[in-house]
Amino acid sequence: MTTQSSTPLVTLKLLNKEYGQFTAVNHINLEIEKGEFLTFLGSSGSGKSTTLSMIAGFETPTSGEILLHNNSLIHVPSHKRGIGMVFQHYSLFPHMNVRDNIGFPLDIRKVPKPERDKKVDEILKLVQLSDFADRRPNMLSGGQKQRVAIARALVYEPEILLMDEPLGALDKKLREDLQDELRQIHRRLGITIIYVTHDQDEAMRLSERIAIFKDGEIVGLGSGTELYNTPPNAFVASFLGNSNFLKVRIKSESQAQFEQQLLTLGTQSHRIPDQTDVLLMIRPENIYVLPKEQAAQEPLAADMNEILATVEETVFLGESYTCTLVTQSGQRLMGKAVAREHTDVTAGSEVCVRWSTQHSCVYEQWSEQDIMKAS
Amino acid sequence: MSARIYSQKWKDTSLLLPILLFLGIFFLIPLISLLVQSVTEPTLGLVNFTELLATSTYVQVLANTFLVATLVTLFAVLLGFPLAWCITLFPSGWGRFLLNVVLLSMWTSLLARTYSWLVLLQSSGVLNKMLMAIGIIDQPLELVHNLTGVIIGMTYIMIPFVVLPLQASMSAIDPMVLQAASVCGASARTVFFRVFLPLCKPGIFSGALMVFVMSLGYYVTPALLGGVSNMMLPEFIVQQVQNFLNWGIASAAASILIAVTLVMFYIYLKVQTESPTSSHTGG
Repeated sequence: MTTQSSTPLVTLKLLNKEYGQFTAVNHINLEIEKGEFLTFLGSSGSGKSTTLSMIAGFETPTSGEILLHNNSLIHVPSHKRGIGMVFQHYSLFPHMNVRDNIGFPLDIRKVPKPERDKKVDEILKLVQLSDFADRRPNMLSGGQKQRVAIARALVYEPEILLMDEPLGALDKKLREDLQDELRQIHRRLGITIIYVTHDQDEAMRLSERIAIFKDGEIVGLGSGTELYNTPPNAFVASFLGNSNFLKVRIKSESQAQFEQQLLTLGTQSHRIPDQTDVLLMIRPENIYVLPKEQAAQEPLAADMNEILATVEETVFLGESYTCTLVTQSGQRLMGKAVAREHTDVTAGSEVCVRWSTQHSCVYEQWSEQDIMKAS
Repeated sequence: MSARIYSQKWKDTSLLLPILLFLGIFFLIPLISLLVQSVTEPTLGLVNFTELLATSTYVQVLANTFLVATLVTLFAVLLGFPLAWCITLFPSGWGRFLLNVVLLSMWTSLLARTYSWLVLLQSSGVLNKMLMAIGIIDQPLELVHNLTGVIIGMTYIMIPFVVLPLQASMSAIDPMVLQAASVCGASARTVFFRVFLPLCKPGIFSGALMVFVMSLGYYVTPALLGGVSNMMLPEFIVQQVQNFLNWGIASAAASILIAVTLVMFYIYLKVQTESPTSSHTGG
């Protein structure tokens, strides 16, 4: 977790970008701390790339402010922002070899030749490409090209590195290797990285903080753990990982009615008036499915809820088991358990479904679209 | 099944026979006889070549030819470059319109276009009248029947041959590469000279070569817009053959033209292999 210093490195203030009638980025506010690894996560068209482009200087905001060390960047052209950037399609200079590609930013800054060569050699070693220094980009594989692009963006030691879906064009194995490499580079150099991706696994794996974008707004901001365990809204809950949503009715500060029984809500305080219909969210891995006989032997702990359901289907996924459950009123739930801890339940059998009260979250407002993925 | 028959057909070189015969009879044999003529007529030896390179009026013709070809190439590239860039930048709006203008002008009769330039440029022509009416000049400028006229007319005619290959190589450049250069700290000027221009090099090169070689051998436009006093090589050849029946000198001059073209082509092959054919870096 980043330490809160008095002035953030980058501040976005009411940043807004409109294309005619369409609002790509809607008055967002964000503070980016020095040295942190922040990811913009969202589906395509959510405004994450537009925001990055505005920070890089490729797009001019319709209104709002971008501050670097409290100085406005709005009228600074991109080549004077001193920012490093890595693009999805590498965007290497095809007419230069690897060494000259990486040396390009240093040549522009008129770094003396011996120093330039030394820096290029160092960075080549960092990205493990020393043997390929004299090749042209078209002689490299996708992963190698992207490492050259990363080296080119790092060589002049910018304060901020922007990465726009840099691993999107690579296959899964290579992507994971590069993710690990990237995390190490970040740790070693202590550079601030703003990373754009639509891949939530990648966001979780890499970043210290994640900003979740939806329709041009930031709808969730926090560490992966925070966002996953206590999502601020139903959209984040369903976007990040899998989730179950039960429709319940608030009865008191700590209780809600589900079907014919009362459920205990967690410690999460809410100010929702009684009799309101709300969504109760529980992650599949927090759900315990017990055959009725076993449930009879294991008394319900005080901080647990229990409902009855019928098993619709069980699926073995190697490391885990999932089972689809249907409650008496027809609402669907998904349970997930590590395979070796899984107790045998068969499709069609009646089971008890339990979860800890602290593993549930309550949302007063949601749209059906938000929770579509879950059902 | 049919694919196999096709591949067999392609392998069957006998299909090439007609074109080989055609080229052999109507191109290769005359060419060889031309070369032979240049060293045998009127006597065996390099007399024609020494005469060509020793007589000052003949050398002047050679110099004119190379001067015009060089200047036309230079102007066509300088004017064609922004045109090609504009066509690449706005492929649907203005660019499309400009491309159509370029293509249309290329498809219009060469004679018609050359005579139009005559009408525009002559001393009582539109351009001179206009400049005199505004009061910029008192005497009509001599824009035609000299090398100026030739260069103006030929530059116009050659522009499409620069624009088309140049536009092809510009549209192959990934705009993100230019953005990448800018984010690396390069000013617009530096991006242009260090990244954009080098990536256009193949297009500039093939366009310029085409224009240069075509200009060396161009006849109609120089004949109509040029003057008698400063002739170009093709006019000289025609004159030697038609007026003086001097086949030896004419053949020698033609041989020089062919030799220069071959040298240019060789240089082109050498340079072209070293530059990237496209800027595509993905995948």
